[in-house]
Formats: sequence, C-alpha cells, structure tokens
Amino acid sequence: MIEIRGIRKTYPDGTEALRGVSHRFSEHVTCILGRNGAGKTTLIRILSTQLLPTSGAAVVNGYDVVSQPGRVRGIISSIPQEAKPSGIATPMEHCMMYLSARGMGLSEAERESRRALKALDLTEVMDKPADELSGGTKRKLFVAMALASRAEIIFLDEPTTGLDPISRLEVWSAIKKLKSQVILTTHYMEEAKVLSDEVVLVEGGRIITHGTVAQLLAPFKGKVRIEGDGGRYRLGGLSFSYVDKAKAKRFVGKNVTIKPVDLEDIFVTRGIKVED
Amino acid sequence: MKIRFIWEFARFYGITALRRATIYSIAIMALPLTLLFVFYIISKGALLPYAIAGGMIAIVAGNALTIASDAAFFRLELRMQDLLVATQIGQTEYMLGMALGDLIFSLPGIAVYLVLGFAFHIFTAYSLALTAVILLFLALSTAALAFTLSSFVAHVRNVWGITTILSIGLTTLPPIFYPYTLLPNYVLWIFAISPATLAAMLAQGAYGLSPVSVNAAIALVAETVLLFAASLKFARWREL
Ligand SMILES: Nc1ncnc2c1ncn2[C@@H]1O[C@H](COP(=O)(O)OP(=O)(O)OP(=O)(O)O)[C@@H](O)[C@H]1O
Ligand SMILES: [Mg+2]
Repeated sequence: MIEIRGIRKTYPDGTEALRGVSHRFSEHVTCILGRNGAGKTTLIRILSTQLLPTSGAAVVNGYDVVSQPGRVRGIISSIPQEAKPSGIATPMEHCMMYLSARGMGLSEAERESRRALKALDLTEVMDKPADELSGGTKRKLFVAMALASRAEIIFLDEPTTGLDPISRLEVWSAIKKLKSQVILTTHYMEEAKVLSDEVVLVEGGRIITHGTVAQLLAPFKGKVRIEGDGGRYRLGGLSFSYVDKAKAKRFVGKNVTIKPVDLEDIFVTRGIKVED
Repeated sequence: MKIRFIWEFARFYGITALRRATIYSIAIMALPLTLLFVFYIISKGALLPYAIAGGMIAIVAGNALTIASDAAFFRLELRMQDLLVATQIGQTEYMLGMALGDLIFSLPGIAVYLVLGFAFHIFTAYSLALTAVILLFLALSTAALAFTLSSFVAHVRNVWGITTILSIGLTTLPPIFYPYTLLPNYVLWIFAISPATLAAMLAQGAYGLSPVSVNAAIALVAETVLLFAASLKFARWREL
C-alpha cells in the first residue's frame, strides 16, 4: 500500500512543485494525469526514493521513503521520464545491468530479460547497440527493464510517450498482465481508460480529484460537450459548456462543435460538478 | 556490497566501450605516446623509461578521470543515476563499477606500454608487481575524486569540459613524464594533490629512475582513503 500525507516539494531554486498532497493509492494500476509541470514526475521521484520531499510523509508498503529508502528500494522499480539508454550498450546489456542492481541472480536475470524484451517485441534488436535503435524502441527498452524486474511496485513515468499504436498496445497488455502494483503517468486519455483502476489528477502541485474513470466521468453522464459557444468553461482559448444530449439539438447549425464527453473533460472542469 | 553489480556495471560501461567505442581507447593513448615520442627525440632516449612508466599512469588516471564527465552525463542526460538510486545499490557500488570499467578500458593502453617496457628492458619482476599495485590505488583514488567532482556539475552543457581540465591539471602537468626530482619540493607536494603524481613518484622509484619515496607511498594510500571517504560524504546520490 502506498500512502502520502502532506507531501510538499520546493526545489532548491524555489520552484514549488508539490504543495501538500495526500492520497492513498489504489492497489493495482493508478494513472496520474496532469498538465505539463503539474508535479507528476516530482511525485513519482519522491515515491521512488530518488528525490527527497521538503516535508510530509510517504509510506510504501509500510516503509517510509525518507527514513527507510533501502527497504523501499528493495520492492520497487522506477523508470524515469527522460531515461535514455547508453548508446554503446545493447538492450540485453541494459537489462542485465539493471537487474543485477536489483539483486537478481544471473540466470534468472537472463530469463526475465528475454521474456520482457519478447513481450515488447524487442527480441530482434536485443543485441543491437542502443544508438542504433529508434526513439520509441529506446523507450520500450526501459519499460522492458521494469517488467523484467518483477518488482512488487512499478513506477512508470510516461512509459508510452513516442510509441507507435501497436507498441502502445503491447505495453498496455504487458502492464495488464503484471501482478505488481503500477503507478504510471500519461498524457494519453485512452491509456488511462484502458489501464487504470484509479485516475489521479494533479494540477499546480495538488491532487485536485481522483477516482475510477467511471466516477470521474459520472458528472458528465448524459451530457455532450459544446465547444466554442462562449460557455462557462475555458481552456486554451476555447470556451466550453456541457449540456444534456437532449438539449444539444438547439446548437445544431450554430458555429460550434458538439463532441461526446471524454476523460480529458476532467481537465476542463477539474472534477467539479458540471453545470449547464 | 553488491559485487555482482560492480562487475555487471564494469561490463556495461567498460567492456562495451572497449568493443564498440574503441576509438576512445586509442584517443586516450595518443597524448602519452606523443609525449613519449617527443621525449625520446629530445632526450636522445634518456627520458624514455620515464615516459614508459609515466604513460601507464597517465592512461589509468586519464581513464579514471573520464568518470567526472561520464557520471555527470549519466546523471543529467541519461537519468541513469535516478534509475539506479531506486534499486538496492548505493553510490559506492556505482562508483566502483565505473572505476573497474575504466580500468578494463585502460587494458589495451597498458598492454602497449608493457610491450614497450619489455622491448626497452625497463621492467623487473619487482617493478612490475609494484606497478600493478600502484595502478590499482591510482584507479581507485582518481575514480573517487572524479566521481565526487561529477556531483558538482549542474548542467549537461558543462559535462565535457571538466575531464579535459582535470586531465591536464592532474596527469599532464605533474611529473609523470619527467623526473619528479626536477621540481622544487613545495611544487612537488602541490602536484601531489593528484594521485597520479604520487603514483609516478613511486613508479620512478621502482624502476630505479629516481630515489624511492616512502612518503609518496604513505601519501597515496592516505589519499585513496581520503578521496573514498570524500566521495561518500560529498558525492550526491539521492537528489535533494
Ligand atoms: N530539478 C528541478 N529544479 C527546479 N524545478 C524543477 C525541477 N524539476 C522540476 N521542476 C519544476 O517543478 C514543476 C513540476 O515539474 P514536474 O517535472 O514534476 O512536472 P510533470 O507533471 O512531470 O510535467 P510533464 O508532464 O511535463 O512531465 C515544474 O514547474 C518544473 O519546472
Ligand atoms: Mg513529468
């Protein structure tokens, strides 16, 4: 179980990345959503014992990330958002190095590496130096390393950024098969819908709403989104409103776009009850 | 201490470089071999033993110093340090893995000098054995120094400058290719900040080129211990 209480992070340059977040994470897959700079990576890095929080507490399976990092590290695997492979080493060599850091024995490491690389369709390139791999393939390599770790808890910071649609499906299917608890960040709403038991929305260093996809979409039940009608919600220069499907007819023919409501709409309304 | 990780990381970092980026292995030999050639010509052969003894030292120290850039690059650009911080290894294993990797990467250079040393008959069994011990201390102390300094590099754009500056200051300037007795005492002990200076003093003693300095031996061991302790205290592992 992962629980955070009042986590704050102010970077040495004064940036307040997290302004007091508290949450108890779901036992299976949690997707953290949020705009660029919201604080997702900061939160993941604190939970992964890579970064110290300024204040607050984070407990991972009973171990405190600040005072018992060694215990936490024994049960987690965490893939940084901007991790890049060493150009001169192959995917297999990356996996072996990483798994030895996690204390896995040689033969098991080899078996798990092969299995994970295969699951992500990397078998063919596993002995190719990484500087000969495409951008998305490099990204998949890190996901494979996490999969091969068989850690109890896996943190994936934007695992599918830059992946083609088929690769993304491979990653999703691999994540779904895991028995581990997974906490991932993503900018793809489809990914959150497919994978998550719970979605956490972060904005401005705070968790502003959380719940299952169904719970988060409940306020929009039976509604459609009308874009460009001067409505009360605004984002990126566009105005929105949400109206009952039945009432949408009156907008037909006007200079607006009518769209079905989707997960991205929680960004617009920030989980607040939707009004006409 | 995760010994197997140290070996795996040395493979990951050193052996792969040897196999796939051989050019750097040659590049690191280029300066010492050039100096050897120049000294040979100018001194009509008299300084050759110094250049051979010093060449091995310059290669081992020079390779260990690349840790200053590599560790900073791995941390800032590849995010490898973040990846590894969240595992059971600590900074000591990481640093030792790099040190071993660079020592392995030095092997072709060492081999070239072994060939030269045998060809010019400068080795004895005693001096060879001592050389091995000296190089080991040199690799460890220099790696610790380089790793600690790498922590202070805050931006990727500054990564590559640091090793260049260090290698001139710590391996080219000090009395590695010339007799340490040529330097006034106080200058010598300033240069002794560089483990390579101490290693060269010991090597010159072992090859009978300069007087044996017991002080240098004590200082090299002490410096290795101190630099190692400094790396534990000052090198950053988890980010603040
Ligand atoms: N090392 C750092 N030093 C100073 N400020 C930082 C540092 N890392 C991140 N920040 C700042 O902290 C805030 C949160 O950044 P963070 O990387 O956590 O966002 P994010 O939600 O992961 O964004 P993205 O979706 O773009 O990855 C941002 O304002 C960012 O500029
Ligand atoms: Mg991020």
